Amino acid sequence: MEYISLFVKSIFVDNMIFAYFLGMCSYLAVSKNVKTASGLGLAVIFVLLVTVPINYLLNKYVLGPNALVEGVDLSFLSVIIFIAVIAAIVQIVEMVVERFAPSLYNALGIFLPLIAVNCAILGGALFMQQKEFANVGESAVYALGSGCGWFLAIVALAAIREKMGYSNVPPALKGLGITFITVGLMGMAFMAFMGISL
Amino acid sequence: MKLKDTILDPIFKSNPITVLVLGICSSLAVTVTLKGALVMALSVMAVCGISSLVLSMLRNTIPGRVRIIVQLVVVAMMVILVDQILKSFEATYPIDKQLSVYISLIITNCIVMGRIEAFALGNKPIPSMLDGIANGAGYGMILLIVAFFRELLGSGTLFGLQVMPAGYVTNNLVILPPFALILLGCIVWAQRSIQKDLQEK
Amino acid sequence: MNTNNNLYTVIYTTIIVVIVAAVLAFVSQSLKDRQEANEKADTISQMLTAAGFGTKAEFQAMGNAAVLETYGEQIAEAFTVDATGAKVADLDLAGKEVYSPSRLKAQNYNVKGGKSVTLPVFKFKNGITVVPVYGAGLWGPIWGYIAFEADGCTIRGAYFDHESETAGLGAKIKDDPDFQAEFIGEKAAFGESPVFEIVKGGAPKVDGKSVQDNKIDAITGATMTSQGLDAAINAWLGAYAAYFEAQAVSESSVETQTAEEE
Repeated sequence: MEYISLFVKSIFVDNMIFAYFLGMCSYLAVSKNVKTASGLGLAVIFVLLVTVPINYLLNKYVLGPNALVEGVDLSFLSVIIFIAVIAAIVQIVEMVVERFAPSLYNALGIFLPLIAVNCAILGGALFMQQKEFANVGESAVYALGSGCGWFLAIVALAAIREKMGYSNVPPALKGLGITFITVGLMGMAFMAFMGISL
Repeated sequence: MKLKDTILDPIFKSNPITVLVLGICSSLAVTVTLKGALVMALSVMAVCGISSLVLSMLRNTIPGRVRIIVQLVVVAMMVILVDQILKSFEATYPIDKQLSVYISLIITNCIVMGRIEAFALGNKPIPSMLDGIANGAGYGMILLIVAFFRELLGSGTLFGLQVMPAGYVTNNLVILPPFALILLGCIVWAQRSIQKDLQEK
Repeated sequence: MNTNNNLYTVIYTTIIVVIVAAVLAFVSQSLKDRQEANEKADTISQMLTAAGFGTKAEFQAMGNAAVLETYGEQIAEAFTVDATGAKVADLDLAGKEVYSPSRLKAQNYNVKGGKSVTLPVFKFKNGITVVPVYGAGLWGPIWGYIAFEADGCTIRGAYFDHESETAGLGAKIKDDPDFQAEFIGEKAAFGESPVFEIVKGGAPKVDGKSVQDNKIDAITGATMTSQGLDAAINAWLGAYAAYFEAQAVSESSVETQTAEEE
């Protein structure tokens, strides 16, 4: 039951995009059509799902005060270790996508390696550290929920942008401009979830 | 590409935020006050310039398969080093406390990494450094424009000084992140009205 | 040179990792003492600010040595208490032992879980007692120091700090003197639940001034930080409740005694 509420909470209440506005760059740039958007969304879910539990274990058994050796506090290394783990996983994902889905690889372009600096991923690791989860299962559920929230947000935006192709937007506002404004409005709508406790 | 274009392009024609769509997250987080925007803009200029320089020097030795890790580790190391050193001196400790808020935002700022990927890995060190600094400046300019409106309308102040008349009721919508997005949309609108070649079909 | 060679990749990565780890470890170790000294002086100046001996900016201008000196002049006693309010041990006054955020963090897990705790109490010569609070804001940890008058429930002042709250919104807990001033004169309801409340725009007011109860207004636009601060204050003051209640009882018994003598 706890896991379900944590899952739902991390999708809607703590949505990475609309509550914390993390991972915006690739969110805006790779949401032109639903197919590429869902590809990137799945990649983000995967990277979060792998990195958050790994970072959780590292944080608990290696980096924390007195975790590795009595009296040694390695927490000054935590950000760099988190980043290194994330970068390694992203590199693997990049190689896998390039090998098995070349068209997706080309569509994602520079934004695939940029998942590594997608603030949603590092945000996931830092929030995990802050939320002090009791066990690795909770951190995995949290990661899955946050990833799904991100996936949901990018697919929703991509769908809106596809429909918007048929509407009469001023030429200078077309594309990026109207997307910014759309996301702003979506963000306001999502604020309704803020503060709901599950 | 001429050196002059390397420096001037990122400020307007290929601005990292409004054209390349990089560094959006931090531009939402730090633009509530002008002071925060200025601190962040200067830090990103410095980090972007130095890390482009270093990685451009290393570019021929970095193994292709682990380049992301190498890039990020180098960037993160330099940011953390600066943080640690600032923290150790009595005179700079207050500055570090101001800056520590932005440390993780600077490391994950996609402009730093984006410019390394797109420019520094294929160019000589000096142009790379200039490209880094110029992109930081282009980013900072947008940040300051957004922060100007948000601080003015949201708090009635500029750099913490009261400028709106005493009766001004602050607009709380402006200090929420969605408004920064709408403001960015308007900036893109203005830029593309002037620069017609950027318009999307 | 073939940079895609497996052996080359492994060696290169290893060298980079070793260099980075060595540099960071060296810097962090060699600068540790200086950083801790700065942190200690900063913590002390936050407590002094809460207790109303000056403003944070004044202490910053003074420099570390002067801050430590002021503290040495003003502090009467410092000790730790457990959840029942009983004294556990004295803190080193000469060494100016304080509870910096990292030490508060270590206790926070026990405080939140209602487990056995040993928490610091700092008593100043003018009767003011300062205690810390610690919790999570929106992005990272938030903490602060609350100063109580000799009666053990009226708040003399408060100072809060944070690691990475949003500038202009959540960061107001530190930067906005008006927000910290709201605490002055309010009364913590020890022994009740909640001990203290930060409510959204709903703190009872008379003539535009907050009623001196246990409620103050939250920061507009910083819902999560305000909620985090509310939770932090309640958890920590809750853990101190037994100590302050005991203080209030002994205080009133002293008063009745003197009244009888007269």
